[in-house]
Amino acid sequence: MTAGTTAVARPAVAAPAADDTVVIRVDSLTKRFGRGDTALTALDDVSFEVRRGEVVALLGLSGSGKSTLLRHLDGLQAPTSGGGTVLGTDLATAVPAELRALRRRIGFVFQQFHLVGRLTVLENVCTGALGSLRGPRLGLFSYPRAVREAALGRLERVGLADWAFQRADTLSGGQQQRVAVARALMQEPSILLADEPVASLDPESSGQIMRLLKEVAEQGRLTVLCSLHQVDLALSWADRIVGLRHGRVVLDIPARGIDRATVMRLYASVGADAAVGAPGPAAGAG
Amino acid sequence: MSVPLDQRPAAPARTTGAPSGPGGGPGRPRRTLSRPTPAGLLAALTLLVLAGGGVWSAVRLQLNVATVVDSAGNAADFVGRMLPLSFPPAAELARLTWQTLAIVIAATALSVVLSLPLALLAARNTTVGGPARAAARTLIVLARAVPDVVFAIAAFRVFGLGGMTGVIAMGLHSVGMVGKLYADAVEEIDEGPRDALRAAGAGRLQQIVGAVLPQVLPSLVATALHRLDINLRVSVVLGFVGVGGLGHALSNAISRLDYQEAMALALVVLLLCFAAEAVSGAIRRALLREVTDRSRPREPRRLRVRRGGAPKAVGARTAAVRTRPTAPAEATARGPARRISPRWDASRVRRLGWTALAVALVAASVVGADVSPSGLLDGVRALGPTLGEFLPPSTGGMADVLLADLWTTLQIALAGTLIGLVLALPLGALAARNVVRSPAVARSFRTVILCVRGVPELILAIVFVVVTGLGPVAGAFALGIGSVGLLGKLVADSLEEVDPGPAQAVLAGGASRVQVFFSAILPRAWPTTLGHLLYTLDVNIRSATLLGVVGAGGIGYDLLNAARVLRFDVVTTVVLMVLALVLCVEGLAVWLRKVYA
Repeated sequence: MTAGTTAVARPAVAAPAADDTVVIRVDSLTKRFGRGDTALTALDDVSFEVRRGEVVALLGLSGSGKSTLLRHLDGLQAPTSGGGTVLGTDLATAVPAELRALRRRIGFVFQQFHLVGRLTVLENVCTGALGSLRGPRLGLFSYPRAVREAALGRLERVGLADWAFQRADTLSGGQQQRVAVARALMQEPSILLADEPVASLDPESSGQIMRLLKEVAEQGRLTVLCSLHQVDLALSWADRIVGLRHGRVVLDIPARGIDRATVMRLYASVGADAAVGAPGPAAGAG
Repeated sequence: MSVPLDQRPAAPARTTGAPSGPGGGPGRPRRTLSRPTPAGLLAALTLLVLAGGGVWSAVRLQLNVATVVDSAGNAADFVGRMLPLSFPPAAELARLTWQTLAIVIAATALSVVLSLPLALLAARNTTVGGPARAAARTLIVLARAVPDVVFAIAAFRVFGLGGMTGVIAMGLHSVGMVGKLYADAVEEIDEGPRDALRAAGAGRLQQIVGAVLPQVLPSLVATALHRLDINLRVSVVLGFVGVGGLGHALSNAISRLDYQEAMALALVVLLLCFAAEAVSGAIRRALLREVTDRSRPREPRRLRVRRGGAPKAVGARTAAVRTRPTAPAEATARGPARRISPRWDASRVRRLGWTALAVALVAASVVGADVSPSGLLDGVRALGPTLGEFLPPSTGGMADVLLADLWTTLQIALAGTLIGLVLALPLGALAARNVVRSPAVARSFRTVILCVRGVPELILAIVFVVVTGLGPVAGAFALGIGSVGLLGKLVADSLEEVDPGPAQAVLAGGASRVQVFFSAILPRAWPTTLGHLLYTLDVNIRSATLLGVVGAGGIGYDLLNAARVLRFDVVTTVVLMVLALVLCVEGLAVWLRKVYA
């Protein structure tokens, strides 16, 4: 793993929430899809930092670049230019093996849960440990006993141990997302990325999932970056709000004590670009 | 077949010229029919030519009432000669049946083993690179392009009469279909779970085994079973070129003109096909049910029961949920012995039992079909020399004969497809649940189609060869009846897939059921039906070649003769000629589908 320009965070080091170690540094990250005139700029010169233990909500309209940004942080996509450092791994220069090692240390929760419906809940959770296992696995029996025990523990953590041997597709949406969280916890991650984790859920399940994410973040001293649609949920849940618009960071402020209207401007329509850009502490904190 | 020209509701009645408003002045009359497009016209013309070709072929082959009446006498005579059926001794019959089954099962297993890696390389989402993908696709297409009879002829050179020839021939040819369907299944998966494993740091192979295979497993098994059915039928044809089992016994009986035994064996093959179809059909339906269940959205049933019911009354309902075998209550109890594998409930035992049975059956088949590693090695070693005998292609100085016979084969296929279409359209429509009012009627027509489908074309061909004499007429009739099974089912399926909305709207407008069929169901099903029709023609050209092997006319006869006199270079030429013809039809199909999409 390449040593980054900033301090390298070790997940094992016990530290108080939100210490000064920068675990994510994004530096002029730009991503374009396609070429020439039809190219679409998904991320446009994005820069910000996240310190260990911070809980950050990413806000913005659909298509503002939230998912693309999260996927870059997990090394699932490569930047067109610029880059950043996550847990000491340089996103722009890392080779595939380094990116894989990085992914092992980052949990990722998807909007659509992404469970294999035909497999049991427990096997789905076990797949979270694949990054630290050797070779392909199919069937519960192919996972070491210790992994299965650990998976059951994670399921207990999210309150679904009773459902362990049921097919994943027999669960409700909220339950499936909890299984997905348990799967991410199998990695013992130091960073948790969540891409619209509650966008497909009803309000009650949404509340449960967000509480769960906050709890596991506090217990595991995780750094959390979560993209959200709901402004109120973000304000009450996160330490900090980062707002994206047309692939640019147009808002980066602490969640406490800010006024809802400021954030709502992110969602304002026509010609509001300047309006949002002007008052807020502009792009690129740090 | 008359074709509604452009189906698209393009530009509702274009007003040409004159700025006449709705009430309009005395301008030119507005168009009330959409303007025909050049492509639409050309497509309609092509279809007319094909249909005309079918009719012309039928006339040229003298498929008419007179022939049928003439044949009636033959048929009576034939029935007299085949009765009483004379079955071989039971032990012999059992041995032949087992040999056939073993060859077919082992061949299908071989095709699965070969197809899976090829399919993973050929699928867009799992391949390792462009060149690998192209190579895998080419191999799959080649396997389908070369008829199994030719594989059998080649394998016979190496292995001689026996199981191995059949296993290799059908195993290799099946890769064409199985590999393609496997690749399609892999490409259709939900990428989400795989993405999740990748995000968790899983390696490429781990992702494929952990997230791709579990998703495609049901369709892998279903495809293998489907191919098993097909191979069982094919194995009879291969009996004529030296694959052991029932087919070989049948071909011997026919060459001895022992129709009593031949028809007895044909009956056994028929029953075997029905039985295999019933078994594999039942398993496939169960698997498909599982697949469709998955895609249906789930109601959060359990959650609601727990949330609402648990705190208050731990009544019968909650208890019932608790005692469901899949939610063991003790899993939560933090006892020292926590369950980390599912319990041995009935469904798990059943699953394991079936799996064990399948594995045992495949293993027994491999042994029963005389498949041995040393034999396989011999095959690999003989690959080069055998291939050399087939290359370079040569016409053997009879190019004109080959071309004339290819032409006959095309005629047989066209006439057969036409017969199939004429019979299958009404049958298919009557078998579609959304066309016929009574479900019982639809079900009974479905059953008729299924029964026709169950009869191997080869058996039909043998019967017709005997009834109408050697030659193309037998082939056309056999293909025609055979197409009814394939086309009837496809037509019924594509009619049933039509969105019921428009039909209900037209019905609500006071239309009769016949009107509903022609205006709201048929137009929607037309593009798929056309696709199926061209597919049937494609299949029939290939089958017409094979049926020539048993004396039903066309180029297949040249194929068999060339193999008999060891002119394998001529075999290659025949294969290439048929291939060119099939490619033309496929190109036509692709283009027509685009026009009518």
